[in-house]
Amino acid sequence: MKLTATKEFKALAEPLVKNNPVFIQSLGICSALAVTVQLKTAVVMGLAMTMVVAFSNLIISSLRNVVPRNIRMIVELIVIASLVILADELLKAFLYDIGKQLSVFVGLIITNCIVMGRAETFALGNPPWVSFLDGLGSGAGYSIVLVTVAFIRELLGSGSLFGFQVVPEALYRAGYQDMGFMLLAPAAFIIIGLLVWLQKALIKE
Amino acid sequence: MSDTLKSIWFAAITALLASLLLTGASSGLKEYRLANIKLDNQKNLLKSVGLIHPDVTYTGEDIEKLYRENIKSYRAGEAGDLVPETAAAPQGSPLFLYVKDNQTRAYILPVHSRGLWGKIDGYLAVENDGRTVSGFTVYNHGETPGLGGEIEKAWFQNNFRGKKIVDQNDRFVSVGIIKGKVADQVAAENQANFVDGISGATLTGRFLSEGLRDTLLAYEKVSAKFREGQINLNTAAAEKTSSP
Repeated sequence: MKLTATKEFKALAEPLVKNNPVFIQSLGICSALAVTVQLKTAVVMGLAMTMVVAFSNLIISSLRNVVPRNIRMIVELIVIASLVILADELLKAFLYDIGKQLSVFVGLIITNCIVMGRAETFALGNPPWVSFLDGLGSGAGYSIVLVTVAFIRELLGSGSLFGFQVVPEALYRAGYQDMGFMLLAPAAFIIIGLLVWLQKALIKE
Repeated sequence: MSDTLKSIWFAAITALLASLLLTGASSGLKEYRLANIKLDNQKNLLKSVGLIHPDVTYTGEDIEKLYRENIKSYRAGEAGDLVPETAAAPQGSPLFLYVKDNQTRAYILPVHSRGLWGKIDGYLAVENDGRTVSGFTVYNHGETPGLGGEIEKAWFQNNFRGKKIVDQNDRFVSVGIIKGKVADQVAAENQANFVDGISGATLTGRFLSEGLRDTLLAYEKVSAKFREGQINLNTAAAEKTSSP
């Protein structure tokens, strides 16, 4: 069997582009608007999100045969909330400034539908290892969108990437201006809209 | 065992395990977290007197060094006298002096204001003339990101620089946040006492205005001494020797 045909590969690769959680499933839009003004916050948010969704999938999938059906949502929420709080604690300990910029949006990973969605639709019906890969893929798919949007917004809005000035000073002197609109939330809407269009145009079913 | 009982047990054990894990993580990382909070606090204090450049990245040691070299902790007595902070039973309200070349350049007041959703903590620095605001920073708040949360942004805080806490007759009036733009809303002679508000955050502005006013009022005797030119580092040092 070819590597690309295995279930594991599909679980990991499908959410990257073909079944991207933001583009196709339209989940996690809120935080995609809020944390994409700068690349740095987008990358950290993507990593935190990937960690949470991968491990929540892993844990929930391992528990799937022992959790009583009537309280499975409660157990899922306990797992997800614990992981999010853990991510928040780690940020506060090691990346304090970025954690402060992300403010409530780390905590709001709990309400990010991608996490609950993958737990309900995938982890409950699949073994732990595949679920973990699916979580990694979904988190990475979300991160790709975040980083792409942040790249465009930071480049056009602040003329920088990762905080380093990339638009040369000479260009500013020649009359170039940063697009202030890119720093506002509506800009992210428009970029995400354009990216969805591009994705649909490139990948035909 | 009935299904219901089993469910309850399962939920209880899961919750217990999760809380144990989180308690462990929280107390294990506490040291790092507290160190970060302290640094952030010091950074904001330095920022309020313009010692932090927005385009420069500072390491923890840079900030500690800047803080050690420039900032002195004091306590303000009831008559507005300044006593250096000592470990033994500090009395009076805390404040900080920005001292450079043996000259007090500014004094920094800790602000603990009410906000719309929770407390707002920050620093308000006033220059040594006792009239001009040197800077305002926020290190802790619970306001809505994008609305009241803008109080932590540079565009808002920069508006405080150069504002006056006294009116044209040198009477104390505090510095306030208005609804809308100062240029449109306030008579020309009072514009020095107000900063632009944040649209969508009228209440945050109102609470913070009150908080700033309360803070400045509490330290008004200190400000008055600065206005009269009665405080320089030497008198503060002299008070240190005369106080028991």
